[in-house]
Amino acid sequence: MMDGIQIALLGAALAVGLAGIGSAIGVGIVGQSAAGLVTEDPDKFGQTLLLQALPGTQGIYGLLTGFMIMQRVGIIGGGLVNLSVPDGYAFLMASIPVAIVGLISAVYQGRVSAAAIGLIAKRPEELGKGIVFAVMVETYAVLALLASIMLLFGIPV
Amino acid sequence: MPIIEMKKVFLLGHRQERDSIFNLLHKLGSVHLLDMKSGDAWNEFEALLEPDQPDEAAAQVDARLSDIRYCLDFFQRHFPVRKNFVQQFTGAKLELTPEKYSGYINSLDLARSTYSSCRKADDDLARIRNEETQFNNLIEELTPWVALDLSLEQIRNGSFVSMDLYTVIPENLSTLMASLEENLSAHHLEMIFTDKEFVYFFFTGLAAELETVQNFFKEKAVTRAAFTALTGTAAENIESLHQKLESVIEERVAVLKEIELLLEHRPMLMACYDHMDNELKKHEAVSNLARTENSFLLEGWVPVPVLNDLEMTIAEKTDTAVLAVRDPRPGEDVPVLLHNSGPIEAYEVVTKLYSTPRKSEIDPTPFMAPFFFVFFGICLSDAGYGVILALLALFVSRKLKLAGMGKQLVNLLFLGGLSAIFFGVLFGSYFGDLIGLPALWFDPLEDPMRMLFYCFGIGLIHVYFGMALQAYRNFKAGHLLSAIFDQGFWFIFLNGLILLLLPEFSAFGRLFAIGGAAGLILTQGRTQQGIVKKFMSGLLSLYNITGYLSDVLSYSRLLALGLATGVIASAINSMGGMVAGGFVGTAIMVIVLFGGHLFNIVISTLGSYVHTSRLQYIEFFGKFFEGGGKAFNPFTVKTSYVDVIETEKAL
Repeated sequence: MMDGIQIALLGAALAVGLAGIGSAIGVGIVGQSAAGLVTEDPDKFGQTLLLQALPGTQGIYGLLTGFMIMQRVGIIGGGLVNLSVPDGYAFLMASIPVAIVGLISAVYQGRVSAAAIGLIAKRPEELGKGIVFAVMVETYAVLALLASIMLLFGIPV
Repeated sequence: MPIIEMKKVFLLGHRQERDSIFNLLHKLGSVHLLDMKSGDAWNEFEALLEPDQPDEAAAQVDARLSDIRYCLDFFQRHFPVRKNFVQQFTGAKLELTPEKYSGYINSLDLARSTYSSCRKADDDLARIRNEETQFNNLIEELTPWVALDLSLEQIRNGSFVSMDLYTVIPENLSTLMASLEENLSAHHLEMIFTDKEFVYFFFTGLAAELETVQNFFKEKAVTRAAFTALTGTAAENIESLHQKLESVIEERVAVLKEIELLLEHRPMLMACYDHMDNELKKHEAVSNLARTENSFLLEGWVPVPVLNDLEMTIAEKTDTAVLAVRDPRPGEDVPVLLHNSGPIEAYEVVTKLYSTPRKSEIDPTPFMAPFFFVFFGICLSDAGYGVILALLALFVSRKLKLAGMGKQLVNLLFLGGLSAIFFGVLFGSYFGDLIGLPALWFDPLEDPMRMLFYCFGIGLIHVYFGMALQAYRNFKAGHLLSAIFDQGFWFIFLNGLILLLLPEFSAFGRLFAIGGAAGLILTQGRTQQGIVKKFMSGLLSLYNITGYLSDVLSYSRLLALGLATGVIASAINSMGGMVAGGFVGTAIMVIVLFGGHLFNIVISTLGSYVHTSRLQYIEFFGKFFEGGGKAFNPFTVKTSYVDVIETEKAL
């Protein structure tokens, strides 16, 4: 009986869990600012929702990585793969970039987006610039996702 | 030419014709007015000219306008017009035919009477609100005394006996009663009601001892409850107050009904608002002019394509006005109007969200547009999603009358949808793996490394293109050497490094890399003083290679976002597959697929748009584009509430 599978699943759980926590915090921070602005000006709901969605992508990237791991080890779509312990660790490590960078970048992206809410409160026409500031943070989550995906593709199971 | 040429115009006319000429210009909307006082002409002729002022009519218009705004705000407060989700981005205006519009703006008397009705209704509502609070407060104060049978008017101090209602905190009650018992010859204290905070009691005693009693009361923090103006018992009073409340509420309903009846004038008020607002703008624009006793002088910018039209109209419609036109002088702050034709126009929104170009700059829109189109498609990279996005964009642009940036954004998404279809077919992605058509080219999910290299390749082209544009800018500005040193050497150096990586070209690569680096070391410090400083800053400039490296690596996001779209789509499909089977299962599957893919379209489109924009702003614009120009802002009709739609006229 090989028990690499548990280690691989830990990787999936961390990717979904940590990146999800980050997004939850980030989206939460923006939501608080957004609600404040919408109190003053309900017509800005659409714009603020757009900004609130931005730190949500890390959670999706985490889910994506977790889903890929589950698919590779056969939790979904087909029988369980017989996984050695080193292979299990390989999956765990592949999940680390998206888990950790997702967690932290989502929180900071949330702060930037919350500041962008302040920006559009005074200058609604500058929504584009506020988004760009937030996207500068997201870059690193995208790169981490890329690293995680490349690592996953590289594991020969 | 993407940036339209402008000419400076001066218009000299007779004072009597000023307003009619102004109306004409306002209607044409082709002049960007300048403030004469800050122009060159002002310095030259300062002794002859004086600034023009808005006349008294402006104040009247302003007052009218604020009345109308008051009405509209009042309506909005009580019967708000809600904007739907799309309108929050695009704005919503009332569409009116020209006949209706002119009908509306000629009913200013009606606007005035509506204003007084609104005022009255507002005052009524304020009074009703006051009464309501007053009644509610009184009811609250009276409620503890319901058990008291006495009529309130009977409670008063007579010549021998004093009586009144009091409250005290429960902790003080027993000591109070004890000291009253001890010190008074006769009294009666009856508790009416007790709650958490207070004990409510009725007290009667001898008038002669009233002062002693009051001292005790003061000591124990007893407060008198005064109901001086009321007659009847507390219970009777509460009942009558409830009746009054009801009638007040009825009254409010009636007032609200009246307001609702007034609502039919809302479109009229909106039209009047826009009309008066524009009138006011016309009056205010006068302060840009210069005047003498009998003439006025106007300065502004006019786009060359409409200049002829303007000259003709002025000559035709006026008797005295003279139009003088000249080319912009170097150093003048010429306003910028972008004009891109066809599908490229849609991409102006991306440029404008960054910054308006300066007059001396190239408009980056046409250069950026093809890259934006391709990058967006690679990020979304799903034929099914592309079809839906394109159809949605088409639907929105048909359904909503959009103008300006909103229209451009929708068109941009439409084109993005087309691009996604193209790349979706190339990569074989149709709602993820829902429709298992093979890839026309290759599937990035199976060979991500290959796709990654293509992304870097396309990124390199993008970056080189940006450098080439900067080199062109330098060249045009007469800095041929800058173009060679700053862009040419980098181009040689970077290509040399790339060739080094390829075994069969590494000899060339070494040559290019060393040559380029030598060129950079020798030239990049050319602004510094002294040979050592020149050499050091030349050497240090090689460090910028990290900038180019990170620029190119940044394009890996194209792969990452493309993979994300595809994998999420597949995840949704397999979730749908898990529940499939039987009628209920199939129904759930359809819901999962529909909801899931819709969610993915929204999230992926947002991601594609923002990341593609970022690649343009940081990696591309950073190479050659400064921005910070002043946008052409013509003196013209601007509305906030209504759009006058020209109906098709019979010719």
